[in-house]
Amino acid sequence: MAGSSLHPFTILAVAAAVVATTTAAGIWWISAAVITGCLVLAIRAHCARKLVLLSCAIILPAFTSQLLIHAVAATHGTRILLAAGPVTITAEGLGLAAALGLRTAVLVVAGILCTLLIDRHQLVAAIDLSKAPPQLGYLVAATLFLLPQLAGKQHAIGQAQQLRGVDAGWFQRLRLRSVPLVLGSLQDAAIRAPHLAARGFPATGSRTRWRTVPDSPCQRRIRYAAVACTLLGPLAILAPVWMGA
Amino acid sequence: MGRRQTTAAVSLELEGFRYGSAPADALHGISLQLPPGSLTVVRGASGAGKTTLGMILAGMLPRPGMDTMTGHLELAGTRIGYTPEHTPRIDPAGWATQVGLLPQEAGHYLSGIRETVAEELAFTLENAGVPAPDMAHRVERIARDFDLEHLLQRDPARLSGGQQRLVALAALAVNESKVLVLDEPLAGLDARATALVLDFMDRLRRRGCTLLVLACTTGVLDPDLVLDLEDGTLHASPGGDAPYPVTKRGSVTPDAPVLLEFRDADLGYSSGTSVLKDFELSVRAGECVGLSGPNGAGKSTVLKAAAGLLDCRSGSLRATDTGLLLQNPTDQLFERTVLREVSFGLTKRGQLRQQVPQVLEQLGLADVAESHPYELPASARRLVALATVLVREPKVLLLDEPTEALDQEGIIRLLQVIDGILEVGGAVLFTCHDWRFMEATAHRVQHLGGNGPRGRDRSPTTG
Repeated sequence: MAGSSLHPFTILAVAAAVVATTTAAGIWWISAAVITGCLVLAIRAHCARKLVLLSCAIILPAFTSQLLIHAVAATHGTRILLAAGPVTITAEGLGLAAALGLRTAVLVVAGILCTLLIDRHQLVAAIDLSKAPPQLGYLVAATLFLLPQLAGKQHAIGQAQQLRGVDAGWFQRLRLRSVPLVLGSLQDAAIRAPHLAARGFPATGSRTRWRTVPDSPCQRRIRYAAVACTLLGPLAILAPVWMGA
Repeated sequence: MGRRQTTAAVSLELEGFRYGSAPADALHGISLQLPPGSLTVVRGASGAGKTTLGMILAGMLPRPGMDTMTGHLELAGTRIGYTPEHTPRIDPAGWATQVGLLPQEAGHYLSGIRETVAEELAFTLENAGVPAPDMAHRVERIARDFDLEHLLQRDPARLSGGQQRLVALAALAVNESKVLVLDEPLAGLDARATALVLDFMDRLRRRGCTLLVLACTTGVLDPDLVLDLEDGTLHASPGGDAPYPVTKRGSVTPDAPVLLEFRDADLGYSSGTSVLKDFELSVRAGECVGLSGPNGAGKSTVLKAAAGLLDCRSGSLRATDTGLLLQNPTDQLFERTVLREVSFGLTKRGQLRQQVPQVLEQLGLADVAESHPYELPASARRLVALATVLVREPKVLLLDEPTEALDQEGIIRLLQVIDGILEVGGAVLFTCHDWRFMEATAHRVQHLGGNGPRGRDRSPTTG
C-alpha cells in the first residue's frame, strides 16, 4: 500500500488486537465477521484475489487436518451423524473443527491482509525510525527482501537456461534452478557484504531515513488502544470463564 | 597503529599479500603513494590483481584469520602495520569515510534493499545518522552532479547496466571520502555519462580528493601517473594504451539473406510500458551491426527480443538461430565448473558436445576448464559466458556490451570470434559504448534514442 497514510505499526497493532480478541472469544460468527471484514478491506485495496488465493493455500490444509482430528476420527460427541467402521462423524466434532478452523482462518487472513496492505519499505523505515534496536530493522529487512531478490535471481538463471535451450517441465525447471540459485545467492551475499559494511549497514548507532513514514497523534492513540486491547481483551473475555470454572 | 606525518593522502608499502590458502602471493613488492588531489591509473590485464590492490586500500583485505599480508598502510596520518601473525581489525564504515571503493561490478555496491535511487544515494548517510535536511541537501547535489534527477524515483534494480554504474558512483561519492578507488568506473557508460563522470572526477580532484582508477586501459582519462600491474607488482608505465587490434572486415553482399529483422516492432517488458516503438532493423548474413545509444535507450531490450527472451508486442520479428551474450556474465553462469557450464544442456553424445574442448581452446579457457566460473577474473568470466553461446554455433551472435571487463587479450579473442562467425555466413549484432571497438568491428551502427535518429543507420565515425 505504497503512499498509504496509515503507519505500518497502526495496521499491525489493529490486526493484533482483532486476532487476539477474536481468538479468545472463540465464537464462530465473530470469526466469520472478521474474515468478511478483511475481505471487504482487501476489495477496497484491490488485493482481494491475492488474499483469497494465499489464504486458501494455508487455510484449506489446516481446516482439513482439523476435520480429520475432531470430526472424522473423534470419539467424543453424542450426536452421531455418520458411523462407518473406524470413521465416526459427530455434530459436536464438526462444530469443534469448524470453530478451531475459523480461529486459524482469522489469524491467517488478517496476517496475509497485513502483508498485502503494508509496503515492506515503509515497514523497514518505520522500524528504523522507531526506538527499536538497529538489529531488528536489519533482521526484518533481510527477511522481507530475501524473497524478491531470490525471485529476481531465479528469473535471471531461468533466462540463462532458456538461452541454452532448456525446455523442461516445472519439476525439472525447479531442480535445475534450485542449486545454482542457492549457490549464486550465497556468492552474491559474500561479494556484497564488505560493501554493505563499508556503507555502515547494519547501523550500530543512531540512524536517520530519507523516507518519511506518515503518522499522526490520532494514529498513535489508536495504536495505544490496540495494544491495550491485545493485552487486556483476551483477559477480559477469559477471566470470567476461568473464575466460573 | 601510530600517528606520523606523511605528504601522501594514502601510502602503501606492501611486501606481500596472499589469499587464504593460495600457494603464492597475489601481490608483492608494491610501494604506492597517492598525493592529495591526484589521479593515478593502475592498468593491468584481468586477473593481474587490480581488484585485490583496491580492496587492500579500501580496508576490505586482508581478512583477519584468513589472508596474510606483510607491510603497512598510511592513511590520514595513521600508520597501520600488517604482519603474517597480526592483521588489525578495521571498522569498515569508519575506513570508508577515508577510502571509498567502487567495485568492478557496480551493482554489487548497491544495497538491494532500497526502493528508489534517492534512497540508494542516501543509504550511507542514513546509516551514519546524518540529519535529514543535510542528507537531502547532499543527495540533491550529487544527483545534480551526475544528472540523476530524472531517475531519483526509479527502482535501482530496474535500471540499465550503465545507469546502475552511475548511481553506484554517485552513492559512493556522496560519502565524501578523501580517497576514491574506482574499479573500471567508465565501463558501460554512454558518452554523456562518461563526460559527467570525468567532469565530476576533475571537480573532486580540485577539492583535494585523491583518485585511483583500476582499469585495463587508460582510455579517455588524463591521469597524473600511470602504473602497470604485472606479475603481482607495480611498474612505471612505458606509455599509452596498446594499439587496438586490426580486424578483417569485408563488404556485405547486398543480396545476402536477412538473418534478423525487426519490422515496426513494439518492444517492452510484460509489466511495463514500451521501451521501443516502431523499431526497424535488419541484419544480413556476413554483416556486423553495432547498436549505439544512451544508457537506458533499449539496446539490451532489442537483443533480448532477438534472442526470444521477450515477445514483440506488435509488428514482426524474424530471427534465425540466435545466441545471446548477456551484459552481466554473472547472470549467465550457474554451474560448478567451466566445463560443466559450457556443456550445460548439450546431449552427451551430440555433435555440439564434442566441440566443447575446441571452443574452450579458442577462447583460451582450456586451462581453467575445471575451475569454478566465479573464481575466474572478470575477463575470463565473460569469455566463459561467450563460450556457452558459441558452442551452440549460432547463426546470429548477439553481444550485449561485450567489451565490458575484457582485457586486451580478451578483446583479441572476441574479435577473432566475430570474424569467425562472419566468415561462415553468420551475422553479429552488438551493443557497445566503446567507439574504438565500434569502429574496428561494425560494418554499420544503428543509433537508438537520445540525440541520434531512432532506428536509422549511422556511421561509426560520427559517434
